[in-house]
Amino acid sequence: MKKRIVSVLMCALMAVSLLAGCGQKDGGSDSGSGSKGNVTLKWAIWDESTTQYWGDIKKAYEAAHNGVTIEMVDLGSTDYMTVLATELSGSGSDFDVVTIKDVPGYATLVQKNAIIALDDYIKKDKVDLAKFSGATDQVLVDGKLYELPFRNDFWVIFYNKDIFDRAGVAYPTNDMTWDEYDALARKVTNTTFGKQVYGTHYHTWRSTVQLCAMLDGKHTILDGNYDFVKPIYQMVLNQEKDGVCRKYADLKTEGLHYSAAFSGGDVAMMNQGSWFISTLITNIKKGEYDSKLCGNWGLCKYPHAAGVEAGSTLGTITGLSVTSASKNKDAAWDFVNWVSGAEGAAVMASSGNFPACMTADVKKAITSIEGFPTDQQSKDALDVSNLYLEVPYGNHVSEINSVLDSYHGSIMTGEMTIDEGVKAMNTEVAKILGK
Amino acid sequence: MKKPFLSKKTRRTLIAYSFIAPNFIGFCVFTLVPIVFAFCLAFLKWDGSNPIEFAGLSNFARLADDTFFKAALRNTILYCLGTVPLTMIASLALAVLLNQKVVGRGIFRTLSFFPYVASLVAVTAVWKMLFHPTKGPINSILFNTFHVAQENLPKWFTGALVLVSMILFSVWKYMGYYMVIYLAGLQGIPSELYEAAALDGAGTWNKFRYITWPQLSATTFFVVVMLTINCFKIYDIAVMLAGAGGGSDLTESATVLVYYIYQKAFISWDLGYSSAVAMVLFVLVLGVTIIQFYGQSKKDKA
Repeated sequence: MKKRIVSVLMCALMAVSLLAGCGQKDGGSDSGSGSKGNVTLKWAIWDESTTQYWGDIKKAYEAAHNGVTIEMVDLGSTDYMTVLATELSGSGSDFDVVTIKDVPGYATLVQKNAIIALDDYIKKDKVDLAKFSGATDQVLVDGKLYELPFRNDFWVIFYNKDIFDRAGVAYPTNDMTWDEYDALARKVTNTTFGKQVYGTHYHTWRSTVQLCAMLDGKHTILDGNYDFVKPIYQMVLNQEKDGVCRKYADLKTEGLHYSAAFSGGDVAMMNQGSWFISTLITNIKKGEYDSKLCGNWGLCKYPHAAGVEAGSTLGTITGLSVTSASKNKDAAWDFVNWVSGAEGAAVMASSGNFPACMTADVKKAITSIEGFPTDQQSKDALDVSNLYLEVPYGNHVSEINSVLDSYHGSIMTGEMTIDEGVKAMNTEVAKILGK
Repeated sequence: MKKPFLSKKTRRTLIAYSFIAPNFIGFCVFTLVPIVFAFCLAFLKWDGSNPIEFAGLSNFARLADDTFFKAALRNTILYCLGTVPLTMIASLALAVLLNQKVVGRGIFRTLSFFPYVASLVAVTAVWKMLFHPTKGPINSILFNTFHVAQENLPKWFTGALVLVSMILFSVWKYMGYYMVIYLAGLQGIPSELYEAAALDGAGTWNKFRYITWPQLSATTFFVVVMLTINCFKIYDIAVMLAGAGGGSDLTESATVLVYYIYQKAFISWDLGYSSAVAMVLFVLVLGVTIIQFYGQSKKDKA
């Protein structure tokens, strides 16, 4: 009998010590706090296997900095910012540098005090924010900056030259209004069964439709009144009705990816971010996309509102932040500063990506990559005159985004008319802003 | 002999506890404590990082003016009202049919059970193809055979129809499981009852009405309770059928309570408010279950 009690007690003891063991995680694991020895920086990223530049940056930085190891942690791209916010909740996180994928997620991390303001560092190292051409001004939180962008994508029109040649229609130009774009799309559309050509294509994101209305420089998505988006919804829904573009409800049901739509060779023009350039080049080279269908492509600038200069477009920035929990903040800052600066920009450009600090050299490097369209117009399409962030920073930006996304779906599927949907956006966002 | 350290009874109890302990400790740490914490959170304001603030009843007050919450509540209730009776009827009918001595009933039983085993992601993909608004076979039958005009073809995963699609899908997916439970119940009914009824001249319907149905009342109770609880928890089906790609941002007509809880907790990081919504769901499920228990015990006494 006694033996049994002893064994029970042993078991209990073991369980307790196991539990206690869990709590003892801090301490020894971090070797390089403060000292100039070997430092390991833990960096949160997504899609390591399909995105080349993460590894490139790590290699280049480690080569230039002795004793620093960059440890990448892949959180996946689908819900990256949600996973990251969960990781950084509480005090258990050991990330030093985190990549910021979008502004709503950035706002969440700032509100959670998970990342630190970089202004003191920026002042100390005399970083000139002018190189980001104004992008950083749109993510200031009460005058403070919590991230430095290293990648800056903007929206352009991709078009399939073969389709225009076949239809005998002139290519789109770098100076079009939305009305001209609509007319051109209708001109190349062919609704004959078996020979279908869609003049244009809009992916299911809200940004492909609604945000086109923000390019007049007068409105943003944080306004609280969305009456100005009505014309663009009207244009797209009319195009749907006339078979000029694929239907939103179909796209949503079948989950067609925009790259599959464009590479299928039946889409004449598509608005998409500049990130698609490197995807197109790589996949055509590898033979993933049939070059007979989409190999002859070109670029032109985003259409603009009537009376606004050409070259205004939407953009998104990808940034880097230092976490508040990091024990190596100085080293982490150095990494952030390096990647967002000229050296990092060169690494980004080498794989066809657009760094946030854009120079003439960088642009030349990208346009001279093999597979980039050779005509002058496609090269000029990369000159941006005004860049409006898809989502600038603002209070409640994350909640506003959710509401707008939801009603975008309602309008596009026909659950609500444009007027009903926009009215609902106005009411619901007013509730959020009124808080 | 020395007197033992603990009395025999205490020792027995301790040993019994030690056997429960591994499970119970896990339950406490990972389930009980979070549940209690969620209760408290409903009265607090917290974003997971900053200090917790007391919020009183303000989280609940906000519910009244929240369009998406009301939509989610309405959709969840409508979904339950549709799914619970339909699944019950379908699974009972299947069970009664497949309890008969028909050729190949083993195969038919397996076939009806199959949807329950199949992966949700895979079968939703198939359903989406079947119900595709322009290319799906269902709509093409409606168009070709029933001559529904092209602009009137139903868009199955939008508007009011999205709930209908969700209900149809759930009935199809879960009826096999409840059929098995009903089959077990049917096996437990003594055959003498049917023989006696046959002698008295009872037809098939009367046999079902006066023997099968009352004898199955305990099974039906179990099935209805399980169905109700599972229906209120709906999340995956809504996201897979009505969500766009990444599953984010269901529209007003498709959003459900659990989805809204997730969205408020992990997208907006409004954990207090999200817990308040969860409380509503909890009270709803508890209320329905209590009513059912009450009804069942009254029936047992009668």
